[in-house]
Amino acid sequence: MRLTPHLSAVGALLLAVLPLQASVYYVTVAGLGGEPDYEQRFTATARDLDKVFRASSDAHVYTLTGKDATKNRLTDTMMQIARQAKPEDDLVLTLIGHGSFDGVEYKFNLVGPDISSAELASLCDRVPAKRQLVVNTTSASGGSVEALERPNRGVIAATKTGTEKNATVFARYWAEALQDPTADVDKSESISAMEAFQYADRKTAVFYESQKRLATEHAVFEDTGKGEAVRPGTAQGREGALLSSLTVVRIGASQAAMNDPAKRDLLAKKEELEQKIDALKYQKAAMEPGEYKRQLTDALLQLVTVQGELEK
Amino acid sequence: MFLGRCGVVLLTAFAAASVCCAASSASPDACRELSRHGRRAEASACYQQLSQSGEAYLRAEGFWGLEQYDQANEAFRVAVAQPGSKAIYRVRWGLLLHDRFNNTEAVDLFNEALKQDPTNAQAYLGLAQVSADGFDSKATEYAFKALSLDTKLVEAHELLANLALENAKPEEAVAEADKAIALSGEALEAMAVHAAVELLADRSPDEWFEKIHAVNPTYGEGYALVGYHLVLNRRYEDGVAWYRKAIEADPRLWSARSQLGINLMRLGQEEEPLHQLELSYNNGQRDAATVNSLRLLDSYKNFVTFRDDTTILRLRKSEADLLRPYFQTELHKIIATYDKKYKMKLPGPVQVEVYPDHEDFAVRTMGMPGLGALGVTFGEVVAMDSPSGRRPGDFNWGSTLWHEMSHVYILSATNHRVPRWFTEGLAVHEEGEASPEWSDRLTPEILLAIRDKKLLPVAQMDQGFISPEYPSQVLVSYYEAGSICDYIKQRWGDDKLLNMVHSFAALKTTPEVIQSDLHLSPEEFDKAYTAWLEKSVGQTVANFDTWRRQLKDLAGLSQSNKNDEVAKAAPEVLRLYPEYVGDANAYEFLAAAQLANGDKPGAMTTLTEYEKAGGESPETLARLASLEEELGKPKDAASTLDRINYIYPENEDLHRHLGQLWLAQANNAGAIREYTAVLALNPLDKASTEFNLAQAYFAAGENDMAEESVLLSLETAPGFRPAQKLLVQIKSAESNKTQTTNSDTEKK
Repeated sequence: MRLTPHLSAVGALLLAVLPLQASVYYVTVAGLGGEPDYEQRFTATARDLDKVFRASSDAHVYTLTGKDATKNRLTDTMMQIARQAKPEDDLVLTLIGHGSFDGVEYKFNLVGPDISSAELASLCDRVPAKRQLVVNTTSASGGSVEALERPNRGVIAATKTGTEKNATVFARYWAEALQDPTADVDKSESISAMEAFQYADRKTAVFYESQKRLATEHAVFEDTGKGEAVRPGTAQGREGALLSSLTVVRIGASQAAMNDPAKRDLLAKKEELEQKIDALKYQKAAMEPGEYKRQLTDALLQLVTVQGELEK
Repeated sequence: MFLGRCGVVLLTAFAAASVCCAASSASPDACRELSRHGRRAEASACYQQLSQSGEAYLRAEGFWGLEQYDQANEAFRVAVAQPGSKAIYRVRWGLLLHDRFNNTEAVDLFNEALKQDPTNAQAYLGLAQVSADGFDSKATEYAFKALSLDTKLVEAHELLANLALENAKPEEAVAEADKAIALSGEALEAMAVHAAVELLADRSPDEWFEKIHAVNPTYGEGYALVGYHLVLNRRYEDGVAWYRKAIEADPRLWSARSQLGINLMRLGQEEEPLHQLELSYNNGQRDAATVNSLRLLDSYKNFVTFRDDTTILRLRKSEADLLRPYFQTELHKIIATYDKKYKMKLPGPVQVEVYPDHEDFAVRTMGMPGLGALGVTFGEVVAMDSPSGRRPGDFNWGSTLWHEMSHVYILSATNHRVPRWFTEGLAVHEEGEASPEWSDRLTPEILLAIRDKKLLPVAQMDQGFISPEYPSQVLVSYYEAGSICDYIKQRWGDDKLLNMVHSFAALKTTPEVIQSDLHLSPEEFDKAYTAWLEKSVGQTVANFDTWRRQLKDLAGLSQSNKNDEVAKAAPEVLRLYPEYVGDANAYEFLAAAQLANGDKPGAMTTLTEYEKAGGESPETLARLASLEEELGKPKDAASTLDRINYIYPENEDLHRHLGQLWLAQANNAGAIREYTAVLALNPLDKASTEFNLAQAYFAAGENDMAEESVLLSLETAPGFRPAQKLLVQIKSAESNKTQTTNSDTEKK
């Protein structure tokens, strides 16, 4: 996985420390629909995600829908993961459905008692997986960010604040992102949380534009553990670094190569060339165009050779 | 300046202090008489005197005459609050508010005056003037009511004359104007109506302007009235010339300056309109049209203009990269077609302005938001909605452009002397000529109008556009005018339509043109056209009630997922009314049932019929393309997707997929265009898009462009294997070429 340009330096550092044999724990909950249409839609999205996650290697997938989508079942599931997961593992918690926000507290609507954002945060805190991602796609989900944020936990919310209370479409596009190779913008054969977020955010905006409707949801993310959630394009400093390095699904054979000790040298060479290309890109504006093109082409052709070796 | 009767203007101290100087000789009528004769200095002194009167009403008239509108407003407020105030005070106050762009409160005041005095003719005249502003048909009714109460009300006759001319009834206009002149030899507006009638008929208006000058040499309103009627008749350049005369006669006629600015905008200018509109605005002309037009001019910084020999294309910056290739290509295709068809060349480049915000387009057109049209032509300038300005499926920019461009040619060929029905009819006809599925649709409203025998005789067709008598009459008139042109082409051939264009240019009337070119009297033509139409759509008209019943049943069956029953019933519904492709149409019900039953070929056939009948739902057409591809018809699929480009080209996936199809079919130029469109939509996946574009360039033999694109792809995603491989291919091709060149050089 390569990184978006403005995050590349931080991202490269994180890439170097990525665990190679980690598992990912996926928990997906389709909350109470209230109406048959919503019930059907939420369940269908959760099932789509379930299918995608189950196709990943080293995945532990838990999906709660319909009558199983209760606070008790969710608590039990999280406690089970808390017992199994190791610090090097990742946790991806996805909430689909309706949410509410009374100005103070966010609640995710479940069958039976709802669960608050503070309770959700507490459950996540019990999971030892160091890197976590919470994708809250519900209405009013912006109201949950403050309670959920923590260092090494990325939080994505479908709405900017708790006051965006209309039903959202973000979940549909989040699920689509994880299945659409075009979401893999850096062609790393994996889709990072940032790539999926940007894809879903873009598709959501296009949905409202094409319907000539006023957009009633504006997705945000927070992944530094403190401060306000931000809209894409407004991130500063380290904002976005965790989401960019956090792979949600792999869609190719990159993992296999990374785990082969015989190819470590080649991987290091590949990494070196990629860094060289990154550095070139940052000098582009100051370089004579012909010289930039020549150097870029040379580096790329060397990379072609290295990747060819890696594929053998 | 927008006055309101509740506006707080603190002038009471001034009013109290000015009681000292009584207006001994001045009266509002006397002052107005001086104004009417252009004796400005004397009029001003007269109004000054009035403004110092101890009587609030007289002060109000004085301030109004001095253009001190706030003070006039306040004085009227005081006047009507006094015990025993007369109804005329409210009427005059209403007229002030009408003059200062506040028609809502003006109407309230006229109505209050009528409560006070139900026989007040001036109040009815005020209501008529406000109604006329909004093209409300009640204007005539109110004017007649005013005349019934005061048979000598000159202004009511003048208003009726103006209204008649607006409705393209010059004889009635002249008759009313003459009544006004008979009552007053100084009825300036009536004289100006006469002058406008003469000009519209391409006769000299000099006689009437001499009469006007004899009364008031600075009467700019007369020229402005002429300009207004010329513009109404789509003679924009002539209109501009007359507005210029208006401000030459009276440089302080801000309303005429504003109209000059607005009409210069219509002709594609920016600098002078800005100057004129700002000048008007800064001098109190703050009506909605002036304000909106200034706002629009300000927004032009967000637009970009592309010029070539024959076209000037103005697009919003944010969508210029996407739309430019489509619009420019289509414009050139249209110009080549019409040059040949109409045997003429336009005198200069045609300017097309495309507005993503429909209200900007409306302001561009009318000075006001709320316009229902999709495109409007002003001589050689076309303003239209952008496809992004409408819901997908609501609008076909391609057919709209062909329609408007037809107007450009016909207005140019006839020097703007063409009846509305004919230019609209020909434009509708040309849409169908450009692409059969763009033919004007036989919608239910039109079927009902035909059934109820509401189509107009050819000699009266203009009325259907200018003064419709029922809500859908304009729509029906478009259909009728278009189908008349279809009929003429079918019976007499294309050349006959061109002959008619020339006859209209020679100032013949519709009955004369029908007689001279088609050798039929208008009545004979109507009879023959009706018989043709009956043969063409009569059965569908007769089927309408049955169709409506059966479609309702079919919708019920579809909703209940009774697919077998839908598949059985739908063909009959389609047979009854095959042209219906609107909401809840039988094609889509049938195709959905066929798909549910696993009958993909059947669904493809059904949706192909839908497409041919003019169905324009992008989603449904995309479904058809997908079926065509799945069933081994990639060329048809590409063609279907290309049709969606004319309806809603804002869809990234559509362009990407069409690019793939065309690349596979070796339509490399088409693939390049489509992948370029994807890039213009700023895709998230830039690496793939640049790679796709590189592939298309490479296939087209444009290796330099291919290399540029593939490097951009790899710059974003250096490890992107397909792009890496293409780069190697390109470099290898480049190396082979160099070797071949060197070898050739050595041989030589």
